Amino acid sequence: MTAAWRSFSAAARIGWAVDANWTDPFVFLALVVAKPLSAALILVVMVQVISGGNAGPLIAFVVVGSGLWSMVTAGIAGLPLSVLDDRERYRMLKYLYVSPADFLLVLLGRGVGRILVGAVGSVVTLAVGIVVLGIPFDPGRIDWPLFVWGAGWGFVMVVALSVVLAAVCLQVRQEAWSYPEAAAGALFLVTGAVFPLGVLPGPLQALGLITPLTWWIAAVRTALFPGSPSSIGGEGSLFASLAGHVVPTSAELAIALLATGAVGTLASVVVFRLSERRAKDRGLIDQTTGS
Amino acid sequence: MSAPASALAIETRALRRVYRAKPKNVVALDGVDLAVEPGEFFGLLGPNGAGKTTLIKILTTLLLPTSGEVRVFGFDVERQTKQIRRFMNMVAGGEQSGYGILTCREQLWMFSQFYGLSGRDGWRRVDELIEAVGLGEQAGQRVSTLSTGQRQKMNFARGLLNDPWIFFLDEPTLGLDVSAARAVRELVLDWKAAVPGRTVLLTTHYMAEADELCERIAIVDHGRVLAIGTPAELKRRVQRESIFRLVLDRLDSGAAAIAHLPGVLSAVPAAGDGGEGRQPVALDLALDDDAALGGVVVRLGDLGSHIVALEKSEPSLEDVFVELVGRGFADEDEPARRADGGHGDGLDHREEVA
Amino acid sequence: MTVPVRAASAAGRSARPAFVGRVTSSPADAAVWSRRQAILTELRAVRGRAYPRVRAALREKSWVLFEILLPFLATSAFVFVYRALQAPPEYVGFVVLGGAMTAFWLNVVWMMAAQLYWERDQGNLELYFAAPMNLMSVLFGMAVGGLFMSSTRAVIVLAIATYVYGVTFSVSEWALLLAVFVLTLAALYGLGMILASLFLMWGREAWQLTQALMEPVYFVSGLNFPVVRLGLLGALAVATIPLAVGLDAMRQLAFGGAGPTSGLLPPGLEALVLVAMTVVFLSLARFFLATLEQRARREGRLTVRWR
Repeated sequence: MTAAWRSFSAAARIGWAVDANWTDPFVFLALVVAKPLSAALILVVMVQVISGGNAGPLIAFVVVGSGLWSMVTAGIAGLPLSVLDDRERYRMLKYLYVSPADFLLVLLGRGVGRILVGAVGSVVTLAVGIVVLGIPFDPGRIDWPLFVWGAGWGFVMVVALSVVLAAVCLQVRQEAWSYPEAAAGALFLVTGAVFPLGVLPGPLQALGLITPLTWWIAAVRTALFPGSPSSIGGEGSLFASLAGHVVPTSAELAIALLATGAVGTLASVVVFRLSERRAKDRGLIDQTTGS
Repeated sequence: MSAPASALAIETRALRRVYRAKPKNVVALDGVDLAVEPGEFFGLLGPNGAGKTTLIKILTTLLLPTSGEVRVFGFDVERQTKQIRRFMNMVAGGEQSGYGILTCREQLWMFSQFYGLSGRDGWRRVDELIEAVGLGEQAGQRVSTLSTGQRQKMNFARGLLNDPWIFFLDEPTLGLDVSAARAVRELVLDWKAAVPGRTVLLTTHYMAEADELCERIAIVDHGRVLAIGTPAELKRRVQRESIFRLVLDRLDSGAAAIAHLPGVLSAVPAAGDGGEGRQPVALDLALDDDAALGGVVVRLGDLGSHIVALEKSEPSLEDVFVELVGRGFADEDEPARRADGGHGDGLDHREEVA
Repeated sequence: MTVPVRAASAAGRSARPAFVGRVTSSPADAAVWSRRQAILTELRAVRGRAYPRVRAALREKSWVLFEILLPFLATSAFVFVYRALQAPPEYVGFVVLGGAMTAFWLNVVWMMAAQLYWERDQGNLELYFAAPMNLMSVLFGMAVGGLFMSSTRAVIVLAIATYVYGVTFSVSEWALLLAVFVLTLAALYGLGMILASLFLMWGREAWQLTQALMEPVYFVSGLNFPVVRLGLLGALAVATIPLAVGLDAMRQLAFGGAGPTSGLLPPGLEALVLVAMTVVFLSLARFFLATLEQRARREGRLTVRWR
């Protein structure tokens, strides 16, 4: 356990040093402020373009969802970009692989930096939304158990997604730098981050309901902003027809998050191990590609 | 601006190159004067950090001199880079360049385009060179799957795509095993034999390689040229006599019998020999010229001795280096262990992690 | 001075006639190229550098999922945002067109701007500089090679989204629309060349900064809404970011230019802005790349061999 912790923490220190850019204030601010805020502002303007001045609840909905999503966008890039960086640029991946430390554990540590940066970005976006855009927020009404549960599983799911993408990047060439962003963009569609799931066609709603991130966003949104519109439920939604009521309860959110999260985490580890095996079999761990 | 009609292949005058580094600047080249004739196979020999790679980078227009004058076939490396790049090429040791996803053939074709060959001519030239360097079976293999030696052969083929008039080889056998290194050296010599008018500048810290390949060698250390000459001339700096060790089946009359022959400076029993009268007999002979050996052999025949073994003892180029500098290649001073990863250009290549 | 030929090097050498290729009479002869030869070399360099991109895309096809299908889904997310807001159908068209153009912006950022920095890491940069071609040709070759994937992505995203979401185009000036599209690409690639030189000199900070500024660029370029809604910020964007002005013009030309599809400036004027941007960016790129080379040669930054 001590050795595992040492490997993880050493990799995490490296990951933070390489990816956080905390020594360059301008880049750091761009990463934790400009990037997530801009993503939120895109949606705010879209809402205002259509709804004009009467868009209060909608603005809150998109800002909260976008703020949480910035952690996903930054976080899921952690492990795959570490794989590409260490394999193609630093040529270190093979040395990490042959070291006694568990390869996945080291990669997890390596990717932690970006996840933390993403989390900071989320907090900044929510803070700006509350302070500047006037999103109603009452700290006294926070559902802390649900929030802690949701935040914890959210972190785990972001890591799990990152692991899956890392598994993909082990197999492909270095031009995969944009794959994490593409994956985040695709998931954006089915997780109810910035519009209720009920807007989607039935099959896409079903896809959303089995995606752990959907429940994570709903759980954290419900915990921090009780009474806000649900991203999962709503009149005519698939959830409503399955559950018999329109808005998921906190217990339903927690249980669904546990179920989908556990399956998702297990699946990600299985996918990674399979990819690792294939990479080892085909000599991909120390390959350099590039075009 | 055109080059003078009878230009030297390489000409440097008072060449200096200083790198800005912390805690203090690194003087990689300190007043280097060099003159290499067209068609010459010239070597730069020196330990890591001597400045060899820095010099070759300046000559290949990748680096500017801090001061001094540098010309390649009369073209100035600072102001006429375009012209120089058209007739020169370079291959470095340990090169990992290229794109792993391409095949060997495709990779070379891509580079042929950078030198202006037409598409069809490029493929034809690539196929010729692949056969010439012995990579016929690997032509369709991805670059990422080539062995180190195969990769270096491919790099060598790349270096010949534009028929360079001057070929810069920067430690081309670095990291190669014995047979791969020998194959690369053979390729270099075969190329030189096929196009005798072409010039080669080789940098190396392998003495035997310089000794085998080069017609003239400059020994460099700490950015300065310590000596220039043919390998034989350089070795004569250390040892003017010709030293031989003879092993004879017998020598009843002892070493004195040949010690006074013309051209023989000394003839003594070899260290470790059991002493005169024991067989076989080993003698160390010092002659003032190789030609004196003939007389010794005749005299030994008259004395009834037969030569069992004859070995010439020559100083190595490291002996020359030690003579010049007072230390061997391996005995680098602490300041010479630079942060340049052993590439001898004095540049700190380590990227700082923020 | 007579140079002794080492007998050992010539005697017994195997004849390898392939070592003799193009014959020139002297280095001076080889150094002098006609204008035609110089231009042909640059064009061939473009082709040469585009070649690995195209081969790689055909050889390893994971990009079909990650560069086409997933971005289509990302574009769809913004379509559904507008649907959730019950926006007029023209807005869906905005998003679809913006999603298609994103492909080219990403090509510029990932396949051009950051590329020289990565080429140096791989040891290719010094070989490029040592070759008798202009670095702009190499960068342009990278862009052309990446265009294969970007164009495929843009066309498929546009086609599928148009079909699935029922986007209706109303184009009256096809020639101008095509010209604006080409000019947008030209200006974008000019910007990409500038960024490539800056990235190389600034190192990984510039690359990280670009990653960090992707969303801000999307925001001020009006990828999902008319940039005119941003007021002064939008005007600044139109003046400086090819993607902003190109999108604004293309939207007006593709969707009739009336009502919600009106832009900041008339499309013809925006086309002229793009022409000016192209000229300025390409000129700046030439200047920056030449400056970069001189500076890199002076400071010894063309090679980074040890990490």
